Amino acid sequence: MPDDLTFLMGKFPAVLPGGLRYARNHMWCRTEEDRHRFGFTSYAVRLMQDVYFLDWSLGDGDEVHLLQEIGHIETSKAESDLFAPLAGTIVLFNRELLKDPTPINLDVYGSGWLFEMAGDAAGLMTVTDYHQFLAENWEKTQRMIKGKINED
Amino acid sequence: MARHRLTVVLSQAQGKNPAKRALEESIAAALIMEPGLDVSIIPYLYDLGPDHTGRLFLESVKGDMVVLSWLFPRAAYWLLDRIGVKGHFGESQLKPPADVDEEDEEAGEPEPPKGIGAVGVPDRQICCLDLRDFKSHEPYVEEVTRIAQECRERREAMPKTNGTAALVQLGVVLRAEEPPAPEPRFAPEQLLKAPERRWYPVIDYSRCTNCMECIDFCLFGVYGVDQLDRLFVENQDSCKKGCPACSRVCPEQAIMFPDHKTPAIAGAPGGAVSGLKIDLTRLFGGGDAIAIAAAERDRELVADGRQAVGLTVGIPKRQADKVQQPKDDLDKLTDALDALDI
Repeated sequence: MPDDLTFLMGKFPAVLPGGLRYARNHMWCRTEEDRHRFGFTSYAVRLMQDVYFLDWSLGDGDEVHLLQEIGHIETSKAESDLFAPLAGTIVLFNRELLKDPTPINLDVYGSGWLFEMAGDAAGLMTVTDYHQFLAENWEKTQRMIKGKINED
Repeated sequence: MARHRLTVVLSQAQGKNPAKRALEESIAAALIMEPGLDVSIIPYLYDLGPDHTGRLFLESVKGDMVVLSWLFPRAAYWLLDRIGVKGHFGESQLKPPADVDEEDEEAGEPEPPKGIGAVGVPDRQICCLDLRDFKSHEPYVEEVTRIAQECRERREAMPKTNGTAALVQLGVVLRAEEPPAPEPRFAPEQLLKAPERRWYPVIDYSRCTNCMECIDFCLFGVYGVDQLDRLFVENQDSCKKGCPACSRVCPEQAIMFPDHKTPAIAGAPGGAVSGLKIDLTRLFGGGDAIAIAAAERDRELVADGRQAVGLTVGIPKRQADKVQQPKDDLDKLTDALDALDI
């Protein structure tokens, strides 16, 4: 199993467990048998900060295509639509988070999981690739965030 | 003793945003102290189903009303209109702090409404305030107090038409300045029962021209026509959650989805509203162009196990200055052939 990696966002170390795979939309993936469980990476959580509200526009068992809009999130710092990290079927949403989304912040790689999917996960990145992906886009991401903040 | 009372309804936010909850609580706490106001708290207005106590309560209110909610005033007002809680649109003097990047092209020339308007509007005012406008309770409390005063003056200027108020008072021991006890059937725990989340369009009849393009476009039977041949949202819960496609098709921007993240679709007063938060949609995988209404609709059709129709059904042709003609079956057939891409 690859080692855990850490991506430094300014002073904040975003931990990236080596045993997981990663999607370009900043979700981690833990595969057990034919089910892929997804959640936000600590990188994504750091950008969003405290999650206030999470909403899914689909239900369990719905089929999705890659990057189909599946929900919405509101946090203390950000708002975003959420998109499917794979094409396939969303087997199960984590209903607990609808009542209380705080596990997304408190237990990023555990009880903060978002949903489980069935589908072809071959396109996901390894931890090394994801780390590199973050590094390559960090400048751009910072510019985007600062640009948005300056607009206020 | 104030004869005329103003009902103040505070509609809570969805979710558990502590800042939102704190604002709601401080407004309620301040308003409860004000004489002449009946303050009630209900859950998120948009989510209230037909059987929710909050809705029954709203229906029971007959007089002037102020509704504070996390919705654009236009959305809240027409949402109430749809559930039969009607009144004249009360103009609020509460204006959100001016945006820094105010490049409102449309500012300056308010057009007269060209919509078909509401029907059966009783003589009372419903004034909707947006809780997103200010972070502290003071501006809201001040505005509600002002509205209460305005309503009182308006009532006093009107000829007295009934004497029931006096009759009710007969034999009753003089009450002090206490508000009347709330009706027992609207117990707070029932009023605040968390509703299921809902998703459906809300029509702004000050804009809707009854052109019926939405009926043609929506293939899920959401829209219908009432006894007066007016378009209305007949089957709210047939609507596809998250899909705002019909509002993109409406030529008058009369269709609102109050929960949609795009202010123009959620019922913003016209110009864009600057978001206070970072939009991470691009980062999380969203495309850069606005999703096309037809693609959104296709997605819902496919999800229902139906055929995607692309641009073949119910798409208005809105080329500049082209006289609109209703499509006939032949048009639809030729469009369908075009779309086959052979």
